[in-house]
Order: sequence, then C-alpha cells, then structure tokens
Amino acid sequence: MRTVKVKRPSPVFWVLLGICILVASAVSLEVGPMTDPPSWVVTGLRFPRLVLALLTGAALSVSGCVLQSILRNDLATPYTLGISAGAGVVAGSVIVSGIMMPVMGLVAAGTAGALLAVVLVYVLASRGGRSEYGSTLILAGVTMNLVGASVLLLFEYFSDASRILEIVRWMMGDLAVIGWSKPLFLLPAVAAGLVMVMFRTGVMNQIAQGDDIAFARGVAVGRERNLLLASAALLAGSTVGVAGPIGFVGLMVPHIMRKFTGSDYRYLVPASAMGGMLLLVLADSVSRLLISPAELPIGIVSSLTGGPFFLALLLRSGRRTGG
Amino acid sequence: MPALTMEGVSAGYGDQKVLEDIRLSVMPGEICGLIGPNGSGKSTLLRSVIRLGVEVRGSVSICGSSFSGLTRNQTARLVSYLPQNFNPNSHLTVFETVLLGRHPYRSGWSMDSTEDLETARKCMEETDTWELRGRVFANLSGGEKRLVMLASALAQEPRLLLLDEPGSSLDFRHQLNMWLLLKKLSGSGIAVLVSTHEVAMAGRYLDSVMVLSGGRAEAFGSPKEVFNTVILSKAFQVDLHVSHDGITDSWVVVPGVSR
Repeated sequence: MRTVKVKRPSPVFWVLLGICILVASAVSLEVGPMTDPPSWVVTGLRFPRLVLALLTGAALSVSGCVLQSILRNDLATPYTLGISAGAGVVAGSVIVSGIMMPVMGLVAAGTAGALLAVVLVYVLASRGGRSEYGSTLILAGVTMNLVGASVLLLFEYFSDASRILEIVRWMMGDLAVIGWSKPLFLLPAVAAGLVMVMFRTGVMNQIAQGDDIAFARGVAVGRERNLLLASAALLAGSTVGVAGPIGFVGLMVPHIMRKFTGSDYRYLVPASAMGGMLLLVLADSVSRLLISPAELPIGIVSSLTGGPFFLALLLRSGRRTGG
Repeated sequence: MPALTMEGVSAGYGDQKVLEDIRLSVMPGEICGLIGPNGSGKSTLLRSVIRLGVEVRGSVSICGSSFSGLTRNQTARLVSYLPQNFNPNSHLTVFETVLLGRHPYRSGWSMDSTEDLETARKCMEETDTWELRGRVFANLSGGEKRLVMLASALAQEPRLLLLDEPGSSLDFRHQLNMWLLLKKLSGSGIAVLVSTHEVAMAGRYLDSVMVLSGGRAEAFGSPKEVFNTVILSKAFQVDLHVSHDGITDSWVVVPGVSR
C-alpha cells in the first residue's frame, strides 16, 4: 500500500506558537509606566488585562474565521459586517444610560446587539434567496457600520460630559481593567463560543464548498449555519460588550495563519485562536509602550495596522475576479 | 434490488410545481440519463432524490430503504450528488478537497484516518486527478475542477451517483473521458443518474433514458427506443431530425429540419 500524506501543520508549529504566546504574555506583565510595580498592580491590573487580551484575541479571530467560511467571503469579519457596530450600539446605549450594570449585563447587551446585526446583515445579503454572498454582504456590513457609528454619535451628543469620556474611550477599544470581573465574566461566553465552533470545523469546511455540496454530504446546512452565526455573534458580541470594538483582528489573523496551517478549518480555527491571542497581547503591549507613561487605545493600534491589510486583500480579490 | 426507486413522485418549490408523477427505477451498475429541454425538471428530479431544497411528494427508496427512514449521514453514504455549478470559496489543495467527500464517515472534530486517505487516493486515481493533488483547487481549469469534484463525490463511496450535466463546460476530449469514466464506475456496480444535453455521446453510454418535458416523463426506455425524431421533437418542442450512425454507434440530432 502506497503511503498517502497530506500537508498538515507540524507539532513544532503548535509548540512554537504556544511559546510565542507565553513569551508575549510574560513581556506584557512587565510593560507599564511602573518599572518595579507592587504585586497588586501585577495581580489586580496587568494580569486580568492580559487574560482579557487573550480572550478577546481568540474570540475575534475565531469569529472572523467562522464568518469567512459560512458566508463564503474572505472579507467577512465581525468588524466589516457591522456585527461589532451592532454590539457597540446596544452596549454603548447601556453605558450612556448611566445604568449601573454588572459586567455580565454588558456581555449580554453586546451579544444581543451582535445577534441583531447578524440577522439584519444576513437578511439584507440573502434577499432573493441567493446562496452566494459577495459585495452585497460587505455593503450591508458597511451600512450597518455607518448606522451604528451615527447612533453612537447621537448617544454622545445627548450624554453628559462625564459619560462622553467613558463612551469615547470604550469606542476606541479598551482593555484596561481593574480586578478580575471583566475577564471572568467574559470567559464562559468565549469558552462556549470556541467549543461550539471547534466541534463544527468539519461542517465549516463543507459549507465553504457550497450549500448544495454540503447538504449532499449530510450537513443540515440551515441549522448549522445558524448555529455558527450565533457562535460568531456570541464571540464577537461578548468581547465588544466588554472591551469595545477592536477592528480587523478577525480579518488579519485567519489570513496570516492560513499561510502556516493551510485552509482546513480543523487546523485553521485553533491556529487562529492562538494567533489572535498572540496578536492582541502584542498589540496591547505596543499600545502601552508607544506613548508611555500614557497609553494608546488598542482599537487605534489594530485599525492602523488592519486598515491597510484589508485594503490589500480587497485589491487582490478585485484583481482575481477581474473587477 | 434497485439502487433508486421513485414512485409517483411530484416535486416543486413552494407553489411552483416542477415534476409530476415520476416513476423511475435505476439498478446497480446502470447509467440512466435524463434528457429534456431547459426547465423540463431534470435538475429538480436529481435534487428530489435527496430532497435538496425541493418539496417532494411520493415515494423515494434508496437501495431498498425508504428515504424517510434514512438519516442524513446514511443517505450521504449511499448517494452522492454533483451539481451543475459549484464555486467553492476554498484555498484547499486538490487532495484536501477530495478528502472532504469523507465527511459522512466523520463526526465532530476528527483527523483523517488512513482509510480516508486511501479512499481519496483511489478515487483520484480513478478520475485521473492524482497528479493534481498538491495544486490549489481554485487554480485549476474548469474541466479539472469538475473531475476533482467527481473524485470528491466518489470518496463518499456511494451506491448511487447523481450528476447534473457533468459534461457542461468540458471540451470534446474531457466530455469523452467523463463518459468513459461513468461507464467504468457503473462497471463497479455504482448506479448513475445523469442529466445531459449531449445526446450524441450519451446514447452510446446510457443504459436507459428518461425524456422529460414540462415536468412529466415523455418517454422511458433504452436510447434506441427513445432517441427518435417523434419523441425528441415533441419533448423539445422544435422540429428535430434524429438519426443513428451505425458506424460510430451514436445519434445525430439536427434541429430546424421538419419531418
């Protein structure tokens, strides 16, 4: 019998990625305005912030992976589809209202907003029963982003001065935390989302082949797509609710990881989760170092690097389709 | 036992009725063709076998089991379907694409078993696509993509293969290779139900033909019984002259020639 091999990421790749995350995490605990911080700064500020960055990075990257597979569009991410905007509007309205809401409430509000945005974008893009999602999907996402941004501006306009600073800060993406409440409340939502997705990576491969082919291979396409969309919304919405919109992570990480793992989602999803952790921990350290002792909101760092990346992908896909 | 039995099958999309009272039986190792004008219900008939986006009334049995008694996975292990148009958003290699046909044999997150890899290799060798294994699927030509997708459909190890115009967009050489391949597959016991417009070539390789018109079976029989001027002209609603070339054992259909 001839040996048949298929190229898969080697164990060395996973170990190296793990080591990179550990090193970046260790560096992140050292970075800050204080060179020799007291232990409560590390355990009460930097460590929970690190965990929040790890969770947010994994959640946003995997959410992007899911959306790209089930909507069959390389440019689909929570940010470009307006899912972050939907989460932002609902979570932002909670912040602006001044209601003292526990962190869990923000997670729930963000998730609800994300689900609402997913439904709206999906309905807009699939109008007329089409099964291919191209520019309509991105346009629907752009519309959602514009409407979301306008609503948030409206909130700002009618808010009192103390609230404005809070919401502006949140809109820029903010990983700064005091204590463990935010990461601990986010953990179950992200863990549930990741587990739901990991057990469906085979299904993601099938749906990316097209609905008819997936159906003929035994996939309940409608149900699985809805579950995956809900998982993507849970992952993106809960993190946006807690940390604000952090753009382009869901776009950059899956595309970079694809170079190492190939496009099989069984390997791409865990690699994206780990890559997302690494990227956000690094970006968070950079955001704290650039204008130290002050810090740059992480959303600005991710957008400044992600924007050109998105443009390059857009131009490349335009060339490929002759448009 | 027939690989496929359809009794009194009507099918459609919502209020739109497309097929009416179809009776069809395909035995293992038989290639059955569906011929008819555009919109006659060929694709809908193929889709109604696995209820792919179609509302179906009547009885459909696959390898002796009623469709309603089969789970999705059981159906996918018995029947594979290749649509006329496919456009995977995929950066996968050819080998990975063929391996996806093994989905009905997996559950949750699982690695490729040795059996999966071996089956994929065999199917690729059968379809002459093994040499393409390392290439990215998206970069293949239309004909190569079709063969790779056929290999992927075969990786499901089906007893019944449903093909929707597999020769469309293929040149003469690839069309011939496709029909030769179907003949080879049928020789191994797989039943094939195939819709096609290639009357000339199909007649040589089909064991039976159903001529569809307006969602109804206009005629059913061997190509010799069915491919004639009267039946095809009526089905296609155009004057056709149909003749059989004994030297090449193929049919010549010339439109626009009145009887």
